[in-house]
Amino acid sequence: MHRTKLDGPVRGNLVYVLPGLIVYAAFVFIPILSAIGLSFADWNGLARPIWVGLDNYAKLFADERFYVALRNNAVLMLFYCLVPLSVGLILAAAVWNLKQREQLALRTFFFMPYIMPTAVLGIIWAWLYNPAFGPIDQVLRAIGLGQFALPWLGDFTFVLPAVGIVASWYFFGFCMVIFLTGMQRIDPAMFDAARIDGAGPAQVFAKITAPLLIPEIRVVLLLTVIASIKSFDLIFTMTRGGPANATLVPNIYMYQLGFDLSRFGYAAAVAIVGAVLIFIVNYAIHRFVRAADEGAGA
Amino acid sequence: MLKTISRLASVSAIGLLAAVGAALPTSAHAQSLPVWDDYTFEGQIAVMQQLNKEFEAAHPGVTITRTARTFDDMKLTLKLAVSAGNGPVVTKVNQGAGDMGAMVKEGLLLPVDPYISQYGWDKRQSDSVLARDRWSDSGQFGEGKTYGISGLGEMVGLFYNKKLLDQAGVPVPKSFDEFVAGLDTLKAKGIPPFMMGTAKQHLALHMIAAISQAHIDASQRKTLDDLIYGRGGTWKTEGNVESAKLVQHWAKDGYFFPGYQGIGGDDAVQLYISGQGAYLISGTWYFGDMQHNPDIHFMPIPAPKGISKPMLVGGVDLAWAITSQAKDKASQDLAGAYIDYMVSEKAAAEWAAAGYFPATPLPADANVKLTPLLAEGIAMWKTINANDALGHYPDWASPTLLKTIDDNSPHLLAGDQTPEAFVDALDADYQAYLKSKK
Repeated sequence: MHRTKLDGPVRGNLVYVLPGLIVYAAFVFIPILSAIGLSFADWNGLARPIWVGLDNYAKLFADERFYVALRNNAVLMLFYCLVPLSVGLILAAAVWNLKQREQLALRTFFFMPYIMPTAVLGIIWAWLYNPAFGPIDQVLRAIGLGQFALPWLGDFTFVLPAVGIVASWYFFGFCMVIFLTGMQRIDPAMFDAARIDGAGPAQVFAKITAPLLIPEIRVVLLLTVIASIKSFDLIFTMTRGGPANATLVPNIYMYQLGFDLSRFGYAAAVAIVGAVLIFIVNYAIHRFVRAADEGAGA
Repeated sequence: MLKTISRLASVSAIGLLAAVGAALPTSAHAQSLPVWDDYTFEGQIAVMQQLNKEFEAAHPGVTITRTARTFDDMKLTLKLAVSAGNGPVVTKVNQGAGDMGAMVKEGLLLPVDPYISQYGWDKRQSDSVLARDRWSDSGQFGEGKTYGISGLGEMVGLFYNKKLLDQAGVPVPKSFDEFVAGLDTLKAKGIPPFMMGTAKQHLALHMIAAISQAHIDASQRKTLDDLIYGRGGTWKTEGNVESAKLVQHWAKDGYFFPGYQGIGGDDAVQLYISGQGAYLISGTWYFGDMQHNPDIHFMPIPAPKGISKPMLVGGVDLAWAITSQAKDKASQDLAGAYIDYMVSEKAAAEWAAAGYFPATPLPADANVKLTPLLAEGIAMWKTINANDALGHYPDWASPTLLKTIDDNSPHLLAGDQTPEAFVDALDADYQAYLKSKK
């Protein structure tokens, strides 16, 4: 029975999809196609683009800076994904047993960094890390640990972890909230049964909580992996990829190539490779992060 | 209801027609002049608003539509806006291959040579200053037609804190050797000889370039000019290696403010103003901030032995230029008149009064109360131009050289790259650029 026009055949209703489709095409689909086209050209932003085929990609895969950027991104992935995931999971398990009001307070408290724009966090943390007037080094000096008061954002060894920790701090509360939501879906009887069988908190976490949270872990991994590969604003505001490319990641490299050096074709090739990487890593997560009874090959 | 709507529509239409009719005679005479500039600091905005008001008053019917953009924003948008056909008629544009050179090549800027002779700009600013805005038809930097002129001058020199020097018993250096010897005394007294910050901005580049160019006598400037204007040459010179070696020694052996690697250039300047370092090598664009500490003075890098007129890194700020949006002679002439006002003695006096350093000399009868720092800068500018000793920013030599310097200088300062390898890296970048031009 057709109650409204919208219950009619799909073909007749396609016109209603048009406005959204036009916006999507104008701001997402066409720019993606343009970027793919541009990655096969040499273009300085002014003159007519010159078709160079796969030349940009050939240069990219022989470009030492690009590999530096990929390596840095791989290290940052630990701070964007694994650290917040682990901390979030442990905190969720710990907070779960608290009374509702305390749980709410802690959840809000830990989630707070996530409501801030990362560019603002970058500026604030750059100030916190400042060796001359930043509170981190001042505290270290005040408690007699002056030898550990480093120029964090200028130190080749510590700059990447220093930036990465900010990303971990930003994401762990978000991970915790997702896991808490997931835990609400687990039947409380399972926890009771485990306890009656004599399982301690560690065993309950390892045998019940963590395995049953696999769908949430997958979501968290997908989101944080995407965030890590498209990381830009935090690094741009804190180090601009320096010192000497120690925090260079593909997106910062893409920005430098395009907007500092006017090599838009080459920059587009970096963007396309970055997008392909996101697809590959996310596909791997989809395929391999599954609960035991789901089967890896499903 | 419909009747009311149609009556309202008629009334509106008549009103609109009347308004258009009334506006037409005026718009036939009125002329709008879209201008983009990069003056975004509070003091600069006030000067620009005043200058624009004065220009409009002197040219009835002309309305300036001003857009202020930061340096980075200007770099991102100017070329695309003008090539898309809706950018400014008059704009500030960054000299060098990346911006002005690229725009000239695509026909997006018009030569200002007719206005140089019409208004006598070459009498206000020296030829070596105007050469920075020249591009030949074959794409050669530093020669051919002139595509702009700047309002403000820039010099990279030695800021010194007189109070701290006195405290350490170090005299204001008269020679390079005396300057270097004084650093040891300062260090021994526990005063950081140099304020430095390399996490952001380019203080390290300024120091290396300033020391290196101070070792070139103005009479020998051709080699440097050729190098910067892309006519050829090499960075692998004894002077460059020695300068890199000296700066590396200062960095490694504790002559820089502790933790300088994690401090940005602008933050380092603020620390310097608060009296936490004896010297700082950077440019006149910091005068506005530096004047808050009356102990801070400005001088050229002292002359090394055997050099009578040392070169001084510097130049001018972004150039005023006319874009291809000035389609007819009338709009080109109006743009020329506007730029003439921006580089006039009158404008120079207003910039100086606001604490900024004009490229055009102040008129003899200018009644401007200068800050001591600005007075020192203006006197220096006069001498440097008389000696034809205004040097160059090294990064103008190739579009990628700034990135190459940024990639290598932290390693040089950390001591894990030799001065020779540092200079080799600059030269490799430069030679690759020369090759790409052929």
